[in-house]
Amino acid sequence: MASTTTPAPAGRALRRRQRGAVVLFLSPFFVLFAAVTVAPVVYAGWMSLYRERSSGLGFGGVERTFAGLANYAAVLSDPAFRDSFLHVAAYCLVYIPVMIGVALGLALLVDSAHARAKRFFQLAFFLPHAVPGLIASIIWIYLYTPGLSPVIEWIDAAGGSWNFFSPGHTLSSMVNIAVWQWIGYNMVIFFAALQAVPREVVEAATVDGAGAWRIALGIKVPIIRSSVVMTVLFTCVGAIQLFTEPKLLSDKAQALGNDWSPTMYIVSKAFVDHDYASAAAASLLLAVVAGALSFVVTRMGKRWQES
Amino acid sequence: MKSQPLRVYGAVAAALSLALLTSACAGSEPTAPSAAGEDGKPVTLTYWTWTSGAEAAAAEFNRTHTDIQVRFSQIPGGADGYSKISNAIKAGDAPDVATVEYNMVPEFASQGYLEDITASSGELVKTSFPAGVRDLVTLGGKTWSVPFDATPQVYFYRKDLFEKYGVTVPTTWDEYRAAAEKIKAADPGARIGSFPTDAPLQATLSWQAGAKWFEVKGDAWKPAIDDAPSQKVADYWQAMLKDDLVFNYGAGTPEETKSKADGTTVSVVGASWSAGGMVSGMPDLKGKWGVAPVPHWGTPASGMYGGTSFAVTKGSKHAAAAAEFIKWVTTDPASMKARIGALKNPSSALPANPAMAAVAAQAFDTSYFGGQDLYKLTGDQVATIVPGWTWGPVWGKVGADFKDEAARNGLPSGLTKAQESARAAIGSRGLKLAK
Repeated sequence: MASTTTPAPAGRALRRRQRGAVVLFLSPFFVLFAAVTVAPVVYAGWMSLYRERSSGLGFGGVERTFAGLANYAAVLSDPAFRDSFLHVAAYCLVYIPVMIGVALGLALLVDSAHARAKRFFQLAFFLPHAVPGLIASIIWIYLYTPGLSPVIEWIDAAGGSWNFFSPGHTLSSMVNIAVWQWIGYNMVIFFAALQAVPREVVEAATVDGAGAWRIALGIKVPIIRSSVVMTVLFTCVGAIQLFTEPKLLSDKAQALGNDWSPTMYIVSKAFVDHDYASAAAASLLLAVVAGALSFVVTRMGKRWQES
Repeated sequence: MKSQPLRVYGAVAAALSLALLTSACAGSEPTAPSAAGEDGKPVTLTYWTWTSGAEAAAAEFNRTHTDIQVRFSQIPGGADGYSKISNAIKAGDAPDVATVEYNMVPEFASQGYLEDITASSGELVKTSFPAGVRDLVTLGGKTWSVPFDATPQVYFYRKDLFEKYGVTVPTTWDEYRAAAEKIKAADPGARIGSFPTDAPLQATLSWQAGAKWFEVKGDAWKPAIDDAPSQKVADYWQAMLKDDLVFNYGAGTPEETKSKADGTTVSVVGASWSAGGMVSGMPDLKGKWGVAPVPHWGTPASGMYGGTSFAVTKGSKHAAAAAEFIKWVTTDPASMKARIGALKNPSSALPANPAMAAVAAQAFDTSYFGGQDLYKLTGDQVATIVPGWTWGPVWGKVGADFKDEAARNGLPSGLTKAQESARAAIGSRGLKLAK
């Protein structure tokens, strides 16, 4: 930008200086990227190719042998690993419609509210997202625990009964935590998109006699559909890394098991079974799945934006 | 393993006077230098544990020693703590000394996480500890860690509430069930106890009933987690849970703690070490708890519930100094006095070393149990520990799988799953499985 006011002879020196600035500004990113992303991935790849074996009773020491792709085969043929993806898929089937539906509904409501109320609701709904996921899970688990929870006392007092940790209810308990946390965040995204809906279109519809429902569902939602689709896809990619909620929940809802989600499977492989090689192999497989999903998301997102 | 009852405890009375004598002068004089660094500077050991009173004991060691200093770090107990230790070993960043429970010693030793300490501590283990405990840390002819406590099961019960409900202390599991029914009938909100569907309690109760979850057959492991005594125990507790005669709270969870504090949980199957947490966690209930031998299946018997040993982690550069510290912390009465006297979280562990146990008995304040001598009672129970138990090399996996399956489909199903997972895990590690 400064080059427009600089005389021509100094141009080369400046370009050199600019290059220096580019290196200076970009290097922190690349150094950190290499140290905390590339290097661990390479190390995991190397680890996943070896296997630790003992013999007899095991007290003669541990031998490290090259295993090729055997760890990958073992992980892929482990039903627990495959099931963990199915668990996440089931979670998405419940979570996404609920979360997107409520977030969209709230965004539309807030959008049609008075200007001052808008800001209040925006903040109020966003607040839960400011609570870190870990803390939110701990608080919710407290509210789910019989003997501690006022909520359960109320349910009991009303003559009902509900065990948040029973095998049939864990999924809804988990979805509830996530919904509480993410509705506000996604509502803000939808609300921002709604701000871009041309007012004259809404006015024209009003003049033509469309009611509030008709305007919301027939005009506003179709206009912001690209952000809705993007949110759905990002949520899917995020769900593949689901860890905090099920991990904390599994302390109480033991039926969830210690390998409910792919990330939990990896943690239990590494830290319960001490099988770091399989954990590395499973991590890389998970990275491939997440990468593929992200690719699909970007492609679909582009198509939606173009249309 | 040969069946050698833990007779060493018979010698407690004889050792008592000697032990008192040593403890009287142990506190003040620094021990002779023997393991200092080559440059003459004191060696600094790093030491990780979660055990009660450990910080006070480490401070006492530092006060009385000049050639070795110990840097104490509190780590979480259970699976998180073991992950922390094994990760640190993998990263070459391990402490010199760490506590490892008996049930994890074979796993850690066979994973190559522990130094073989036969040369430095083998003799100590052989001469200072009862056979049954010694066998838990001696594997494949090598010594892997030094025992700290003996943990026969004992039964803690609310004297006041037992009286209120008209229940006598059960001595057998049949009586326990009858008492459970009576308590629930008298107060629908109260239960005789809580049975967490987790592996450590299931294991110790199976041990008491005569099960042998792992055995060494020549150079091969033989897991038998679903053997007949274990099935009997699982069926018994499954019925207790099904009939809603016990709570199903996890051990150490807030809901369990709360129900003990508010008197809805009336009794607890624990071990000597449980008392420390009761004293510091429920000070209001002082004088209301009593202790008794654990209920049994016909003849008095006990398994070990928990229990900790001291190990030198792989790669430690101060093995000699570590061995000296471990010797002090597991056998010197001064270390136990410091532990019991700790202000923050006093220990009530029963030392496996008989001389140290005698000193602990003297130091422990019995007023919480209305003057009842906890150490005398738990010490007597040591003789009832069923000999021949061995922990396996895949305990972490087996314990986790048992817990998951038991929560889903009940305790008997948990045993079946744990047995399958033990066989699979032993095989996949390359270890030999007995036919």
